[in-house]
Amino acid sequence: MEIYLHAKFLYLFRTFKVFKQSAILLLILVPFAAFSQTGSQSVINSKLYGKVVDATNKQPIPGVVVRIKGTTHAVATNTDGEFNFVTGQKFPYTLLVSFIGYDKVELIANGSPVQIELKPAINQLTDVVVVGYGTQKKSDITGSISSVPKENLNQVSSSVDNLLRGAAPGVNVTQSSGQPGASASIRIRGGNSITGGNEPLYVIDGFPVYNDNASVSTGSGSGAGVNALSTINPSDIESIEILKDASATAIYGSRGANGVILISTKKGRKGTSDVSYGAYYGQQRITKTLPLLDATQWANLRNDILASTGQAPSFTADQIAALGKGSDWQDAAFRHAPVQNHELSFTGGDERSRFAISGNYFNQDGIVLNTNFKRYSLRANYERDISSKFKIGLNSTTSYSTSTGAATNTGSASLSSPNLITNIITTSPVVPIKDQSGNYNLVNPYTSVPSNPINDLLSVINKTNINRSLGNFYGEYTLLPGLKAKVSLGADLLSTKQNYFAGPNTANGYAVVGIASVGNATVNTWLNENTLTYDKVINDKHFINILAGYTTQKSTGEAATAGSKNFVSSATTYNSLQSGSQTSTPTSSAYSWALNSYLARINYSFLHKYNFTVSGRADGSSRFGAGNKWGYFPSAGFSWNAADEDFIKNVKSISSLKLRLSAGETGNQEIGQYQSLATLSPVNYDFNSVLITGFAANRLSNPDLKWEKTKQYDAGVDLGLLDNRINLTLDAYYKKTNDLLLSIPIPLSTGYSTSLQNIGSVQNKGLEVGINTENISGGAFTWKTSLVYALNRNKVLSLGASQTSFFPAVPNSTLGILQPVNIKVGLPLGTFWGYKTAGIFQSAAEIASSPTLDTKANTKPGDRKYVDVNGDGLITAADKTNLGSSQPKFTGSFTNSFSYRHVDLLVFFQGAYGNKIYNALRQQLEITNLSTNAYASIADRWTPTNPSNDVARATNSPVAQMSDRYIENGSYLRLKNVVLGYTFNGELLNKIRAKQLRIYVSAQNLATITKYKGYDPEVNSFEQNNTSQGIDFGAYPNYKTFLVGLNVTF
Amino acid sequence: MKKIYILMGVASILFSCNKLDEKPTSVIVKEQFFKTQADAVAGVTAVYGELVSDGTEQPLYGREINFLTDMTTDDLSAGPSAINPNVRALSSITYTTTNDRVQVLWRQLYTGISRANVAIDQIPTISFDPATRTRLVLEAKFLRALFYFDLVRLWGDVPLVLHDPTSTDLNSLKTNRSPAADVYKQIIADLTDAQSLPATYTGADIGRATAGAAKTLLLKVYLTQKDWTNAVAKAKEIINGPYGYGLVTNYGDLFNKATKNGKEHIFSAQFDSNGGLGNSSVLMGAAFTGFGVSVPADIPADSSVYKQFSANDTRRAVTFYTSLTNPSTGVVKVYPTFYFGKYVDRTVLLTSNQSGINFPVLRYADVLLMYSEALNELSGATADAYSGINQVRNRANTGDLTPGLSQAAFRDSLYAERRREFVQEAQRWFDLARTGKLVEAVSKVATKTNVSAKNYLFPIPQSEISINAGLTQNTGYTN
Repeated sequence: MEIYLHAKFLYLFRTFKVFKQSAILLLILVPFAAFSQTGSQSVINSKLYGKVVDATNKQPIPGVVVRIKGTTHAVATNTDGEFNFVTGQKFPYTLLVSFIGYDKVELIANGSPVQIELKPAINQLTDVVVVGYGTQKKSDITGSISSVPKENLNQVSSSVDNLLRGAAPGVNVTQSSGQPGASASIRIRGGNSITGGNEPLYVIDGFPVYNDNASVSTGSGSGAGVNALSTINPSDIESIEILKDASATAIYGSRGANGVILISTKKGRKGTSDVSYGAYYGQQRITKTLPLLDATQWANLRNDILASTGQAPSFTADQIAALGKGSDWQDAAFRHAPVQNHELSFTGGDERSRFAISGNYFNQDGIVLNTNFKRYSLRANYERDISSKFKIGLNSTTSYSTSTGAATNTGSASLSSPNLITNIITTSPVVPIKDQSGNYNLVNPYTSVPSNPINDLLSVINKTNINRSLGNFYGEYTLLPGLKAKVSLGADLLSTKQNYFAGPNTANGYAVVGIASVGNATVNTWLNENTLTYDKVINDKHFINILAGYTTQKSTGEAATAGSKNFVSSATTYNSLQSGSQTSTPTSSAYSWALNSYLARINYSFLHKYNFTVSGRADGSSRFGAGNKWGYFPSAGFSWNAADEDFIKNVKSISSLKLRLSAGETGNQEIGQYQSLATLSPVNYDFNSVLITGFAANRLSNPDLKWEKTKQYDAGVDLGLLDNRINLTLDAYYKKTNDLLLSIPIPLSTGYSTSLQNIGSVQNKGLEVGINTENISGGAFTWKTSLVYALNRNKVLSLGASQTSFFPAVPNSTLGILQPVNIKVGLPLGTFWGYKTAGIFQSAAEIASSPTLDTKANTKPGDRKYVDVNGDGLITAADKTNLGSSQPKFTGSFTNSFSYRHVDLLVFFQGAYGNKIYNALRQQLEITNLSTNAYASIADRWTPTNPSNDVARATNSPVAQMSDRYIENGSYLRLKNVVLGYTFNGELLNKIRAKQLRIYVSAQNLATITKYKGYDPEVNSFEQNNTSQGIDFGAYPNYKTFLVGLNVTF
Repeated sequence: MKKIYILMGVASILFSCNKLDEKPTSVIVKEQFFKTQADAVAGVTAVYGELVSDGTEQPLYGREINFLTDMTTDDLSAGPSAINPNVRALSSITYTTTNDRVQVLWRQLYTGISRANVAIDQIPTISFDPATRTRLVLEAKFLRALFYFDLVRLWGDVPLVLHDPTSTDLNSLKTNRSPAADVYKQIIADLTDAQSLPATYTGADIGRATAGAAKTLLLKVYLTQKDWTNAVAKAKEIINGPYGYGLVTNYGDLFNKATKNGKEHIFSAQFDSNGGLGNSSVLMGAAFTGFGVSVPADIPADSSVYKQFSANDTRRAVTFYTSLTNPSTGVVKVYPTFYFGKYVDRTVLLTSNQSGINFPVLRYADVLLMYSEALNELSGATADAYSGINQVRNRANTGDLTPGLSQAAFRDSLYAERRREFVQEAQRWFDLARTGKLVEAVSKVATKTNVSAKNYLFPIPQSEISINAGLTQNTGYTN
């Protein structure tokens, strides 16, 4: 059918070729013409008046659809729950009344008026959920889909990904930094890929978006990446569904392997007209500061280091006595920072149209001086029934966000290079923050460049401005009863400007007398989707839903940077690059990709008891080799509502029971552009001081490059007990990713190091449990609990025939040389690799009798002792071993919500267990040296009189070694959110003519239990980098928030 | 209703024509390259580029070659701030088959060879000015010979790859070791051709390989093969030829960016600071971005390297420094001991990897010393043999060599002179290896007593053998 239609479209297209230029205009105009042709009325026979109310509280329910069975006649209730119906029928007739969240009612109307009571739906299985390219009754679903609870959506956050933390089993969210607007890394059921992307696909109102933070980075900025999703206002979100197994995700084919997050924004409802205002204001403060040496301790350390090479002390005892605590740089850099959010929305609808319009202003100051994130956004969702058969709609959002960040350049080699967060920590405590006249002191005798990290924070400009417009426009036409055609056009226009300026009084700008750069990046994505859906019920027993479609998406990106140095005046900052006397090499780049897809799905249900789903997608991607553009992704699922069987119906305690099975294959196309081609890179050479550009191939071309494919099997149970007061969802899954895109080493004698080939495989298997209980209900006091638990075991199965392990590059040269991560067959991704330590050498005799890392001559008492793992009497690289993985053994959350009359309370705990963090910041802070501050533990260092078995002696810049000393337990349990709310009752509401009014206070990150020694166990210095997860190299610290808020609806 | 059909049809068709072919606009693809003269020039520039740049590691002549040819000798050791244990292993002669520096140098040499192979194969297929075309191919041949000469000396038998792979099939990418004699045959063939290169260049072509460079490298090949007759003949061609070579008066001018490409520089790896390609070999001097923070990564192996210079030897103050001036603050930092100074660019100390000092690969002093050495081996310490070494000694203000030395005594004096002349110029290990004095000399250093006969060759990188089991390992190294 799909192919036939396509041919027909093609014919039509040829016919109307002349109109191609104005086709979009036509598309907009003609529906109005269509509207004007329809509008005839039926013969009046009987009038029906009525009212629909909630069966429990007798409140009217607006927007309920009342339909006469066997006809297409339907009306919706108004704001007072009333409806007025010119039926065209004679009494009696059967009314069908349905509304989301309530049980369906079927009743016979004998006359007018009628009062209809709707019972709130208790059985979740009757709900309708959003699935890929449509909706489905929850009872008929065969796949593993989690809906994010409302409580999670009400959290305060700058972006949607942070709302998913602890929201559903199998979704692991790690924020990379505490910088306002910064990104989070999300893994659904573990990571599948080594070199490809592992982030899930977001589908926002039907528009697929891969959240690649590189798309909002030009290279000019410096610091934590800006989160592309922070451009979307989280309060616009109505619901989030997380598709996890293949039956649910295969419809997204080549982008489904990492899971899919379906986001639906708020829509208007028939017969309502609401104005809502929501606001909150809060204060944020740092959760924890690092223990560092004070001035006295640091001066003593410096003397000890000098003594270790036989040099004279630099501080006398009198000088040390006068130092005291010295400067607390952390205290100077961190602040209590305000956050505020305001939102105004208008929603409503009449017989024929629904709308939701909202505006949002969000302003979050960071806890580090001079850091901030602001967002201004607008949303307009509109839908209109042009006729009973034709519907059009628009979902759109436009936002401007601006982020001022601390320059945290994780790519730079050392802690002392311009990373403002680590500069705060490493600056010596004996250096005063301000001079005697109250200005920032720029004199630091221990660095080669005079600078002050606080002054840097305040004066370095590091700004990212992002404009984003995301929208789609669609028309849906009912061709025949049950057969609908839908065409949508969408666009995601993202443009970013980054500005950087460091003046001559800053660490980065000193040597070059000021440095400025600007960068622009635009990414424009276009989408066209054409789907046909057919719904058919045969004999009230067979329920059939068929979907077929063709979609095509194209994205183009462009970026450019420019910069200059050496400024006479700092007044123009980055706005006058021509004022710099020395220019930096400008850069520019461009790319594009396209994806053409055919998709199909058949849902069949027998009596809503036995349900089958078969889906498939064929994706053609530009990113793959010439011979492998197309990939095919099938899936099948089955579910059985066993509770409907007689033998279980008799078991009183079981109110619902569903068993699910699914299998399928999905893909991953996130490998970047042009990977199959042999691209050339510039390789330059100075001929007699004239720089000449040369070109050489980076790699061999691989026309056979194809998709990574993930096979996934899922078995699940949904169980409701005791009238569904206890709901349990249990899933077990097995995923195996084959044809992994891996840069495999090839003989270096070819002149090339690696070749990207489809080799290798990774598996994930796991268990997910979700439990929701209503502990106390029915009275004035209610108590609900939900528990989420997920465990995932990840393992590398193969890395190709030529290797069993490799050290992936870490995007930082200081850490890279330590090779902290090993990807090894049989071990999980993100395995840390290094020496095991065995305390400190206490005596020369101990050194003589033990294997040593350095030569025995160079090893002194007080040096660290390492374990000779392979027992060969030497400490070599062969003694490095598995030190644990950055992947948690399990993750979970625990939510309790209570209500008593008008008061509600939510307590949300969330945590992870068993993951390791490589605390590279602490490692760097334990490299004692003459110029930078050290971790407080160094005060208890080994000396002949203090035979520490934990902290080594003071030497000048000892060589860092990758060892278990810096692999820390990253497990944590966090009181993530506490909300106490009060909802006002009728009297006050009437007085202010409001429908609803609620005020609340909330605290986030109130308490954290962890053994982790860094700022926060939720850390990812290298953000979305797949192979360098769980490394802490001086990220922006996390914070706790206290806030008050208000929601009012008129 | 028909209109709606039409509309939907139009809408769906509008976007259904996305092409799936990749036509990159921001990168050049190999298949589109080597079509014009400019492409040919850029292809050869990339071969030169391998001398001075590397995407991830310190480049070939930006410290990498020094790891194998100086760090493993009695000249250099790894300083306390050398983080990489592989560097320390080279310093203590405990390196194994998995040493990453050994692997990186192997990779860099073969990367250069690969780029030269592509140029040699592709450039003749482009039609443009035949003289320039021939010159570019010969430049690539000179560079290919330079890379293979390092490979064959460091590893012995090595894979002899002369063409770019045409497939990514792993088996087709494997090449086994060829006998060293075959590799030398190829080197001599390439250099013999390259002798037709221009004698000199002007303007922005200065720095390209010349006829004199090809002859000097050929001289070095003959000397290494102990083919003294051909060596003497080749040295005479250079000394008496129309090349204008001579010793610069001031030894320091050899390592000064203001006097780069002088009459003594026969072939250099070209560096430039501030916008050009700076040499990260500043690391061989000190960690300048943190004045006074730490000692340099590369330090003298022991005091012998310093003590071999007499007080009046003008080379000593160029080879070492004991103090430096911070160019921003003017503060003079005095170090407690001496460090290597040839590549320390005093003007850009605050910016790392920005030394603009060229690395001399071949220079005229080397020609003179090789001439003296070959003559002495052929017919003893003749007056001609003395003339070469004495020119070098007199420039250094150390006076003529004691006259009337025996052949053996002259040989020893000559070896000692070479050590003094070429500290940190990637010569020491090659000299010790070809003269059979590696173990004797290196074992004198207290921290390097592990040196043994196996160290006359480096191990084939284990990663290469893992991929291609057909590669054999050098004697004394276990996998």
